[in-house]
This record gives sequence, C-alpha cells and structure tokens, in this order.
Amino acid sequence: MVDYNLERLNFLIVDDNKHMRALVTSILHALGAKNCIDAGDGADAFKELRHFPADIIICDWNMDPLDGLDFTRLVRTGNDSPNPFVPIIMLTGHTEMNRVVEARDAGVHEFLAKPISAKGLYSRIRSIIERPRPFVRAGMYFGPDRRRRDNPSYMGGERRKANLQADGGGADRELSQAEVEALFS
Amino acid sequence: MSDDDTVNVIKPPDTLSAKVSKGGPGAVDLAAIERAESVIASMADSYLDWVEEDLVKISKAQAELKANRDNAAALLDKVFQVAHDMKGQGGSFGYDLMTILGNDLCRFIEGKETVSDVDLEVIDLYIGTMQIVISKRMSGDGGAEGNKVLTGLAAVVAKITGKG
Repeated sequence: MVDYNLERLNFLIVDDNKHMRALVTSILHALGAKNCIDAGDGADAFKELRHFPADIIICDWNMDPLDGLDFTRLVRTGNDSPNPFVPIIMLTGHTEMNRVVEARDAGVHEFLAKPISAKGLYSRIRSIIERPRPFVRAGMYFGPDRRRRDNPSYMGGERRKANLQADGGGADRELSQAEVEALFS
Repeated sequence: MSDDDTVNVIKPPDTLSAKVSKGGPGAVDLAAIERAESVIASMADSYLDWVEEDLVKISKAQAELKANRDNAAALLDKVFQVAHDMKGQGGSFGYDLMTILGNDLCRFIEGKETVSDVDLEVIDLYIGTMQIVISKRMSGDGGAEGNKVLTGLAAVVAKITGKG
C-alpha cells in the first residue's frame, strides 16, 4: 500500500444524512485529512464549491432537492461550475447495475458502495491520486474518460459491454464492489 | 454518442499530485486505516440511537401507507428512503443484518405503485425483524440467531406471498 499524505487536500462531503456526513468526516480526519466541509444536498454543495476549492468530492445519491446524480451533472456541465474536473466519488447504497452505469455516465470518477469502510474509502481516494484521468467530451457526455485502463496488451473484447451482458443478470442486479470497479475500468 | 461523433479529449491540470506527498509523518499507513476503522466502531453506540429514530420513522411511514393506500406510490417511496438509509448505515456500524434487511425491503418495494394486504404484511415483517435485530443488539451477522431470524423471515415471506 502506498502511503499518501492527505492533509493538504480539500474534501467536500455531500450527504443528506447528518450521521453519514459525520462518519465520513471522522474517517477522513483519522486518515489525516484536515480540510473537510460538508453539505446536506447537491444545491448546498454547489454553493459551497464557489468558495471552497474542493480537491475531492464524496457524494451520496439520494438527496433533495438536488440529488447526487444531478449535482454531478451540474458540476461537469453547468455554465457556472467552479471546477468541472473535480474528482467525484459516489458513495451510495444503490449498487444495482443500471444505477452504477448511470452514475458512471453522469461523470463520477469512482463508485463506493455503502456500507462504508475506511479501507474502501482510502482505496477510492488512492485510485484518484494514482490515475488522473483525461476528460472526454463526446456527444452529450462530459466527464472522466470511462475507459480508464490503458492496457495495450489487452486482447479481449469491449469490457464494459461484456460486463453489462455478463451472467445474464438484469439491469437491477446487485453488483459487488469488485464488479463495480470492473465497470469503471 | 448522440448526433455528434466528435470526441474531444481534454487533459485537466493534475492539481492533486502537487498537494499529496508520499510517506512521512501523517501519511496513511496501516495504523491510520486501523485508527479510522476504530473511529467507525466507536460510533456504533451512537448508531443505536440514530437507528431507533429511523425505526420510528419507518413505522410511521408504514402507518401512513396503511391509512392512505390511494397515495401508495409516494408513501412507498417514503418507506423505501428510510430502508435505503438503514441499508447504508447498518453495515457501516457493524450491523450487517440491518443492511441485508434494508436491502431486501428496498428490493421488495422497488417498482411498486400500489400495495396489497400481503405487501403491507411483508413490509410489517421486515420492520418487525429490524426492530428485533436492534433490540437484541444482533451485530455482525448475528451468529446462529441471526441466521435463524433471516431464514425464518424468508420462509414466512415466501408463505404469505405464495412463493414458498
């Protein structure tokens, strides 16, 4: 495990549940992060971004009035977005395949399934640090390149399409964290 | 891709690597991960207070649903939202059974626009089982008793839904 020092990073935690916000903040503090602020929904988070230069956003899905997906789209494509490139980790209990794909296609960098663990959260942060991703504007999509892994020796088929059709499961099939990661790679 | 096949690749400024150093004091090592995990464990007691609130909330939403079936879609969503929260929080604080039950309840509700008597009975069963898990402090997988509770619930649900 590579030991990164997170103390200079600014984290914005967005969750409508104050207990989850407190939990994520406590985990980040224990990992050495010093600058963490939180917001209770996407609209408040967007306001915070105007004066808080977040380096990483950790965002829940279910929130009112602006949920995590709409917030991500607003950050990526809003005319007045302070930072369209900011890495976003979607932290959610929604682990059905169609939901994971939807989050990826809204422009999130990483997807972490609740229940949360410190190890799981750090591994997503590490992935963002180690693999800065180019952004792509293609048709309606603007966000991190969804083909993250650049492996010239890869001889297989189109991985994401294969994943979507794998196991004969429906779009609402629950994915494990490993399957989620495969969809994001 | 919609009607435009153009793909533009943009390389954003890598601001993170300038702010993150490797190693040294304060860096995330195994001890820091363990510390963070123990922070989560230390919040488990508070979780028991929060989850009691959620249990009250979900029971209220269920009572509203029973009293106003014409508005089932919206009220089912209310039950779903609390169950979804409980799913996310349970395992985070060491109550894995709450995550399993919250998830199963969400799956049961998802897609429903109306409710039958049987549906209401099943939702009651899930809420009742969650109350048992918390009142008996069945953390982790609940051991043999946890297994018994889950198996028993599955059998009753199968029986009353006619899928047994």
